[in-house]
Amino acid sequence: MTALYRTTLIGLALLWAQSASAAVLLDKSEIRFICKQMGAPVEGRFKIFDADVVFKPTDLPHSHAKISIALASIDLASDESETEVKGKNWFNVTHFPQAVFQSTSIKALGGENYEVHGHLALKGITQDIVVPMKIHTLSGMQVAEGSYSLMRTVFKIGEGTWADPDTVAEEVVVKFKMILAH
Amino acid sequence: MNNTKYNGTAIALHWLVAVFIVVAFAVGQYMADLELSPWKLKIFAWHKWAGVTIFLLVLYRIYWRLTHPVPALPASMSENMKKGSGVTHLFLYLLMVTIPITGWLHSSAAGVSVVYLNFIPLPNLIDKNKELSDLFKEVHESLNWALLGLVIMHVAATLKHQFMDKDNLLDRMRFSGKCK
Repeated sequence: MTALYRTTLIGLALLWAQSASAAVLLDKSEIRFICKQMGAPVEGRFKIFDADVVFKPTDLPHSHAKISIALASIDLASDESETEVKGKNWFNVTHFPQAVFQSTSIKALGGENYEVHGHLALKGITQDIVVPMKIHTLSGMQVAEGSYSLMRTVFKIGEGTWADPDTVAEEVVVKFKMILAH
Repeated sequence: MNNTKYNGTAIALHWLVAVFIVVAFAVGQYMADLELSPWKLKIFAWHKWAGVTIFLLVLYRIYWRLTHPVPALPASMSENMKKGSGVTHLFLYLLMVTIPITGWLHSSAAGVSVVYLNFIPLPNLIDKNKELSDLFKEVHESLNWALLGLVIMHVAATLKHQFMDKDNLLDRMRFSGKCK
């Protein structure tokens, strides 16, 4: 076997390995959230996250998703509020730098609708959650979109004086959009 | 037509707006230096509600002013003084409109919507953008200092008319007496 032949084989094998799983285009994907403050919607997002996603509609048992969010990359109303939510009462990023969602199974609900079951680990607390997801194709790429209503006190997000849901509501709607390239 | 006095609606609007502006200004001063806390978020919401209220009242005031006669200024005033008075009032109206709008822009750019009285959601004027949010905050604050300056002039002019010129100009805006 010539060296050239071997290199070509390895190259092909690598290409094959790459095409088997979808890569998430992170700069085009987004994780946003909306919480309510004194009854008024407040938007924010996480600028840095990593996503390891394999999604094959024809092979859901082998499809899976793992999303890790760098909580310190939060983009909120002001520097002051960003500093506050990174602190002890909220995310406590020095102790819990990441939020991690790991899927356990994906169910087809018909059409472009799916249900992703998995664990969400946030601030040292892990919960089983179910996230509704829609998949559609946009210029040859798969777009996975969905939202999840998180109850912030379940994960001790906003402790102490911030626990009062009249000022910052209990529910935080997390919206994601992942662009999957093959 | 009684031309020596503003009509009752104009007088009521003037004083109502004046009270709201003093309160919103004082609250704005107080809240700006507060440390972030649930109390601060509450105060901010109330300040915004006061701002929306002022904005609506001022729009109605402008409509009322444009559709009703204004009492003439004292004949003893020079043309330049009359012009000065007109310009001051024009800028007062301009600031009363632009200050709430810049506050609304600041809030929109911060990604924080305004829900008036926790009941009526206002649309976001612009998309979230922290640089613009900081810029509109500065503009909102600067315009407020300009307003403070004009209000001081406005009050000082009234006092001058009342106590130096003794032309009883204040009576035009007083609740007492004949209202028409």
